[in-house]
Amino acid sequence: MTFDWAIIWQSMGALWQGALVTIALTVLTMLLSVPLGIVVALLRESSLKPVSALATAYVELMRNVPIILVVYWAFYVLPILTGIGFSPFLTGVVALVLNNTAYNSETFRSGIRSIRKGQTEAGLALGMSEGQAFRKIVLPQAWRRVLPILATTWVTLFKDTSLVSVIAVGDLAHTALQIRSQSFRVIEMLTAMAAIYWLLGYPQAKIVDWIHRKYGVTE
Amino acid sequence: MTDMPANLPKGSALPEVVIEYRDVRKQYGDFTALAGVNLEVRRGQVVCLIGPSGSGKSTLLRCTNGLETMTSGEVYFDGMPLSKDPRKTRLIRQRMGMVFQNFELFPHKTALGNIMMGPMTVLGLSEEKARARAEALLAKVGLSEKAGNYPANLSGGQQQRVAIARALAMEPEVMLFDEPTSALDPETIGEVLNVMKRLADDGMTMVVVTHEMTFARRVADHVVVFANGQIVEQGPPQQIFDAPETARTRDFLSHLGWDG
Repeated sequence: MTFDWAIIWQSMGALWQGALVTIALTVLTMLLSVPLGIVVALLRESSLKPVSALATAYVELMRNVPIILVVYWAFYVLPILTGIGFSPFLTGVVALVLNNTAYNSETFRSGIRSIRKGQTEAGLALGMSEGQAFRKIVLPQAWRRVLPILATTWVTLFKDTSLVSVIAVGDLAHTALQIRSQSFRVIEMLTAMAAIYWLLGYPQAKIVDWIHRKYGVTE
Repeated sequence: MTDMPANLPKGSALPEVVIEYRDVRKQYGDFTALAGVNLEVRRGQVVCLIGPSGSGKSTLLRCTNGLETMTSGEVYFDGMPLSKDPRKTRLIRQRMGMVFQNFELFPHKTALGNIMMGPMTVLGLSEEKARARAEALLAKVGLSEKAGNYPANLSGGQQQRVAIARALAMEPEVMLFDEPTSALDPETIGEVLNVMKRLADDGMTMVVVTHEMTFARRVADHVVVFANGQIVEQGPPQQIFDAPETARTRDFLSHLGWDG
């Protein structure tokens, strides 16, 4: 068997485009799923039973079905539900946000619960509303505690974005696999794909390690 | 049993009632934390609540600003009943400062930041004005040089003094103290009690749950003894400590090794 590594250099532009899409997917998904995760965490803690039950059902559903299923579901069902044709990229974002929000909500819920009740009471005793006490006192402390977990989620998400390639989002995985099937340079393209994911992922993993060291120890 | 502070001469005009507890009851399942408490706190008074652990004194204090809900009864602040309306409760809380056993300083804020939080968030003070107020209060509790310290870098006594300053930053009419020295090392208790003593001397109305009998005797105008969710005796400190009328009070004081 002969290899033709030149295919990688010839495809560099396309692969770079794909990598950019992968990064955009990750950033956009995280930007949306972090605040949404906080909202879902609060809904789960709601004293209104139907609200908390609904939020719990959503989280348990998303945590127990494969992401790729959510991706397909978004691709086929979203246009029917909304009557709008989403681009593959947006469909991918919706699917990833649906999945990630569930995980982030669990992360925030444990973070929020780890803050002593007395902290909220100290805010209430000053005359703050429940909302003010949450925003000014609980959330900033919980945030610091969950940052290491969020960082780990980020790196996992970066790799999981490859799952949206099944609905032809032009991300790194999709681009590389496309070139593979057109050029039949299977080993070369898979190797290139691995190398690019690794090169992009490794620094992120190192940053996560640093965050764990800096914020991982609490009080 | 009379609610009148007996140390005031008869016939002189009593200061107005600021806090009134009317038949306050609190039930936790089978456990009765408060079994119908009636009490009045008058403006400028220092009222110390003493008694064994679990006797209901902290629960009563926490009912005062609605951190604890009552099973039945009423608490009036300045004639207004503590209501279920969160807005009215918030307005009442702004006028009552509270100091906790475990300080509950905000660990993500400096000493100064802790004190500025209430005025800025609740009263809408500008950062500049809140800072000026906070600096003055830190000076008052003798901690000006610790303004930039985070709570983790303060001793227990220093943290509690900052917590007192934080409560004072709202310019409250009443201060509630929930065992303010119980979590402190013995050597730092004095600095906190001194700050409280000065506050009392300045005329602040104070309700203090405490195990510090020397403080209660020296600073209180009125001492209330709790047992099993009820007031068993109340009166001026001389009466409570030197000539207790009930066996329950004598029993409690002798357990503390108090010999008058």
